[in-house]
Amino acid sequence: MTDANRESFEEFRKSFSYGTRNNLDFKFLKSMSDADAADVFERILAGLSTAYDTGDIDPLIRAAVESQIAGYAPKPGTAPAHAYDDAPFSPTPKPANGSVIGLVTSSGHFVDGNDPEPFGIPEMSQAEAVERIDQFLVEAPVLSAIPSHVPSDKLRVRHGGYNIASTLLDPNVCFPVDRLTDAVSDGRIAGVTDTVFSFPGATAQGRLRRELPAWLDRFSEEQADAFLLVPV
Amino acid sequence: MSVGHVARAIEESGTPTVVVMVEAFGHVAERMSLPRVVLTPHPMGRPFGAAGDIETQREVLDAALDLLDRATDGGTIIDAATSFRPGVAEPRGRPTAH
Repeated sequence: MTDANRESFEEFRKSFSYGTRNNLDFKFLKSMSDADAADVFERILAGLSTAYDTGDIDPLIRAAVESQIAGYAPKPGTAPAHAYDDAPFSPTPKPANGSVIGLVTSSGHFVDGNDPEPFGIPEMSQAEAVERIDQFLVEAPVLSAIPSHVPSDKLRVRHGGYNIASTLLDPNVCFPVDRLTDAVSDGRIAGVTDTVFSFPGATAQGRLRRELPAWLDRFSEEQADAFLLVPV
Repeated sequence: MSVGHVARAIEESGTPTVVVMVEAFGHVAERMSLPRVVLTPHPMGRPFGAAGDIETQREVLDAALDLLDRATDGGTIIDAATSFRPGVAEPRGRPTAH
């Protein structure tokens, strides 16, 4: 390898964030220091070595999760964005087992035939959403309304900000509509709203806030006693 | 952060909310003073647990419903007593495509 082609460790760790080695589970490596990113690789490789002999992958998983926590931790000296001193609080009108629960997720799910078509592009692939992440981050999000009893083969997902592999296998990892339905069957809650909601959370925060009055009007039509919200 | 704005707006409109998010975003929950939050020790993108792990997904939902019943003040953040269990062979959730 010539010096011109030599890759620095900084370039290497940054390549996991929308780069040549894109892996959205580890995109946080981009914002770490070289030393902290090196610790991530060291811990994960050590966990893998342990798993070879013990079969126990829990330490490996925990190392990855703790790496994410460190990777997303606020950086010293950076001003906190969207910080609030007050915590709003509305008392629950009735116990959960008597409540109808609504669902809002930022997972980017939608129903086949009701594609939000970001930027007017029909049938945008997940790969294209990843490529266009910078465009998503400056545009307003589109809220998708989804029947809570949507047939399984009609549910779709697209989101350029996280690894959708797990939710492709089982949407309930971040869009827990089946678990809410189970909770109704178990008597844990009284019902699920007829319509639940999702949007791609990688979006312009100011434009999202301007959408909220219209979104609240739509949510209120569902007459939920409480809402479950799930970010990714 | 996006869901934080939505949660605060719904709560301010008079409807209670509970947010379930992965531990890595706990600092966002604190910074945004969200009303009720359950933090799960799971990898990003999987706040309710691994694909097909219905048992853990139910436990997480139960923790959220418990918090709706018990919280008396905004800014209540709890840790879910769950662990991430990968490798469930037969996901029984809804398959999707795209």
